[in-house]
Amino acid sequence: MECKLVPSVCSYCGTGCGVLFEVINNKIVGTLPMKTHPVNEGKLCIKGWNLHEHVNSILRLKQPLVKTFGRFMKTDWDEAIQLTADRFKEIIAKHGPDSIGVLVSAKITNEENYLAQKLARAVIGTNNVDHCARL
Amino acid sequence: MKEQIKSWLEQGTVDVFLGYREVDHHPIPWCFTQEAIEEVDDLVVSPARYSLEKIATHMAAEDPDIRIGMLARDCNNRALNVLYVWNQLRPEQVVTVEANCCPSPLKEHADCSYLEPGTVGAYKKAVGIDNHLRLEAVEAYGPEEGRNRWMYEFQKCIKCYGCRNICPVCFCRECSLDHDDLVGTGPLLPDIPIFHLVRAVHMAGRCIDCGLCEDACPMDIPLRLLYQKVNRIAMDLFDYRTGTSGDQPPFSILGDRVTLEPKPIQPVTGAEA
Amino acid sequence: MTNSIAEIEDAGCVFIIGSNTTACHPLIARRVIRAKEKGAKLIVADPRNIQLSRFADVAVNHRLGSDVALLNGMMHIIIKKGWHAEDYIASRTEGYDALEEMVSRFTPEKVQAITGVDPGDLEEMTRLYATNPPGSLLYAMGITQHTTGVDNVKSCCNLAMLCGYVGVRGGGVNPLRGQNNVQGACDMGGLPNVVTGYQPVADEAVREKFSKAWGAELPAATGLTITDMIPAMLEGKLKGLYVIGENPKLSDPDWNHFNHALKRLDFLVVQELFLSETAQVADVVLAGASVAEKDGTFTNTERRCMRINKAIDPIGNSLADWEIICRLSTAMGYEMRYDNPEEIFDEMAGLTKSYAGMSYARIGLDGLQWPCPDKDHPGTPYLHKDQFTRGKGMFFALDYKDPAELPDEEYPYFLTTGRMFAHFHTGTMTRISPHLDVEQKTGYVDIHPEDAAKMEVRDGDMVVLSSRRGDIEAPVRLTRSVAPGTIFLPIHFGEVPTNVLTNAEAFDPLAKIPEFKVSAVKVHKLVL
Ligand code: SF4
Ligand code: SF4
Ligand code: SF4
Repeated sequence: MECKLVPSVCSYCGTGCGVLFEVINNKIVGTLPMKTHPVNEGKLCIKGWNLHEHVNSILRLKQPLVKTFGRFMKTDWDEAIQLTADRFKEIIAKHGPDSIGVLVSAKITNEENYLAQKLARAVIGTNNVDHCARL
Repeated sequence: MKEQIKSWLEQGTVDVFLGYREVDHHPIPWCFTQEAIEEVDDLVVSPARYSLEKIATHMAAEDPDIRIGMLARDCNNRALNVLYVWNQLRPEQVVTVEANCCPSPLKEHADCSYLEPGTVGAYKKAVGIDNHLRLEAVEAYGPEEGRNRWMYEFQKCIKCYGCRNICPVCFCRECSLDHDDLVGTGPLLPDIPIFHLVRAVHMAGRCIDCGLCEDACPMDIPLRLLYQKVNRIAMDLFDYRTGTSGDQPPFSILGDRVTLEPKPIQPVTGAEA
Repeated sequence: MTNSIAEIEDAGCVFIIGSNTTACHPLIARRVIRAKEKGAKLIVADPRNIQLSRFADVAVNHRLGSDVALLNGMMHIIIKKGWHAEDYIASRTEGYDALEEMVSRFTPEKVQAITGVDPGDLEEMTRLYATNPPGSLLYAMGITQHTTGVDNVKSCCNLAMLCGYVGVRGGGVNPLRGQNNVQGACDMGGLPNVVTGYQPVADEAVREKFSKAWGAELPAATGLTITDMIPAMLEGKLKGLYVIGENPKLSDPDWNHFNHALKRLDFLVVQELFLSETAQVADVVLAGASVAEKDGTFTNTERRCMRINKAIDPIGNSLADWEIICRLSTAMGYEMRYDNPEEIFDEMAGLTKSYAGMSYARIGLDGLQWPCPDKDHPGTPYLHKDQFTRGKGMFFALDYKDPAELPDEEYPYFLTTGRMFAHFHTGTMTRISPHLDVEQKTGYVDIHPEDAAKMEVRDGDMVVLSSRRGDIEAPVRLTRSVAPGTIFLPIHFGEVPTNVLTNAEAFDPLAKIPEFKVSAVKVHKLVL
């Protein structure tokens, strides 16, 4: 039996409450408030308490999908990544880098946001980077 | 104590030991095992208190034969007794190491105050209910004043369900608080005072006055006092003291002994449940 | 936020405007209540009656979109009564005279005409705010999602500076960020005009620094904001779009418009946890990992950078978003290789002054608040301590402007949008969560009983809401939380797409934030 409580941060609003994921045998069975966290001091709201439910949802995407003739087909990473890279390169070659936009996210980590804008600026070559916080 | 725990793990007296470990200056509940026995050296008895027994029930639901060692304060022990009574854990699968919890020596049952008496402002004292009052003081309010003060407290509720979620003796799979017919879902404020009273009624004969709910309440609602009150009634009527022993039949609270077989309840894990 | 969440408890007065705090930032609402219980004064100004209004010393419902007038009215009274912080203004700010001149025109009577707020209430709330230092001002989307969003924000700053509340513990101007890592996304350069730490791409030195670090030439021209991307897609200028972790289809104003624009794209890639509304129309969907399945950092609304830790393996064959981006980049011919997110963080911190002193080890479980420029810096609980970041604090003299759309004979009701307590943003994560779904399963429209009587509808009836852009159906929920004349729609529900009604053309000229909070609609009962 493997059981651990893993400290993390609630991702349901900008408050950023400290949580502990209760993990038993590589499955999250619950979310607890971190008692000594400076932001929430051992309390959570309804969303925080149920943070693990979206992780465990059966609706989660489990592999990349590619649309062919209007329908999604399951595929592997190599194919999905190669296809995406090829299409982007094609568009850049034809219409220039500014014909591509990248929407980064308030839901992913700092590291991922950093890489996404680096991808847009250094790899694609455009400053068309924005996120949905305006919305 | 650490030697004791190590020997338990080594000799297989227990499969796991639940305690705390300090991670970046924060005490985090930790499940010590034989494979990583050296971690026991980092075990701490933290002032922060989590419901280790609730974690234990989740493990027991995965593996009913697991033997669990646990760091236990008085409140943990009371909660364990309730869980034994309700067949959520078996007494023979749990061994405890006693730990003192409060800065002061443990007081008598139902008087363990882990909450640091923080300063309660004049405003709350005037319109609400000071979290550190004793039940007698709250009962002394007249009906009108009592109602106003309680309603002030209930109005703050943000319906986080933290009071239920954190409670070591709340394990019902179908919770009355989730029933639209009993307590309306939807908007904030919740239905008050129904939301709080429904929970209070369900705590009669269950609540072991550990204070975790009040500590988890974002709005500092004096929930312990509420549950102390229902438990006082249960005690006066049925002479039932929750958590004092592991072999009170749960239905003795109804006066007569009833022989119903309570079943362990599987934890609800996300959407798949 | 200029100040920290915990500091709110030590405020002398908390002024909440345009934030339904108990529903959207519950653990910040906790601090507000604690401040109040410790003796602080509480003022709530919101077009709706929110839960915190019940605890307020003064609660006013100012008309939707009239924030600048309300705030100018408060400043008018402060100056007239001499409650402003003269020394602070003289030594730490500039632009005061123009402000004084502007707000002198906002007499209580004029303010009442615009906002509907009684002059007596206005004076009382002003007195409470100005004479109970330090005052902590909290606002959220109710201030920013307007055509005058930037003016609204500046007016909040004007007010706080006028009383000398910026740069003091327990005070400040505190925007509450809606999504968990908006702060971080902006800090990391997720904006068309700046790279990390708000370094402008227009600055040649900045471009040089990054070109050198990344080994690639950086483009100089400012990019398109999301609001600009929509017309660019329609005009066929934007051909490809890579959307990470967002569901813009539901969050964008004017859904029909956006829907149409997405169809014009040659190629749409969506990286998501779920097959969201946007993912459904994508060409490629990349399965990302959730917060529990990866390491990394988030920066919350008080600028606290905190670590998340991998609790379980990514489910199925999904992949952490950073790994997906690395693979894509490598496949496009730019090799991105990192062993773990910590390496990415260190690279970023090396290029970003406000994060320069941070490392995973230092962040620990408590987090660190930026700016944290060097290894010994303890982080910054509140900004502008002895000096404003830009030197002197600038007052902006701002006149009141009407929202882009006001109710008229044809569309007689104000429509405003927002969140409810159990759901998050477009609901992709919360609606599939059983315990959250049970609280609210579908969309609804809040209508005041008086209005409902006029419309002849009852609780639970279906109504059709129409604006100049489209119409939707929703069940009615009667509530006194909205003022008569105003109706409210939550934003989380794809089957009741609020944004069919809102106005994509109307957005703040500077911030490009659409006016979600005000549109004009008509309502009639659905007859089957
Ligand atoms: S627990 Fe609630 S208040 Fe805290 S971060 Fe999550 S959503 Fe926000
Ligand atoms: S005090 Fe609260 S958490 Fe503890 S047993 Fe009673 S109801 Fe449950
Ligand atoms: S913990 Fe407090 S705020 Fe949360 S539901 Fe219970 S009483 Fe309400």
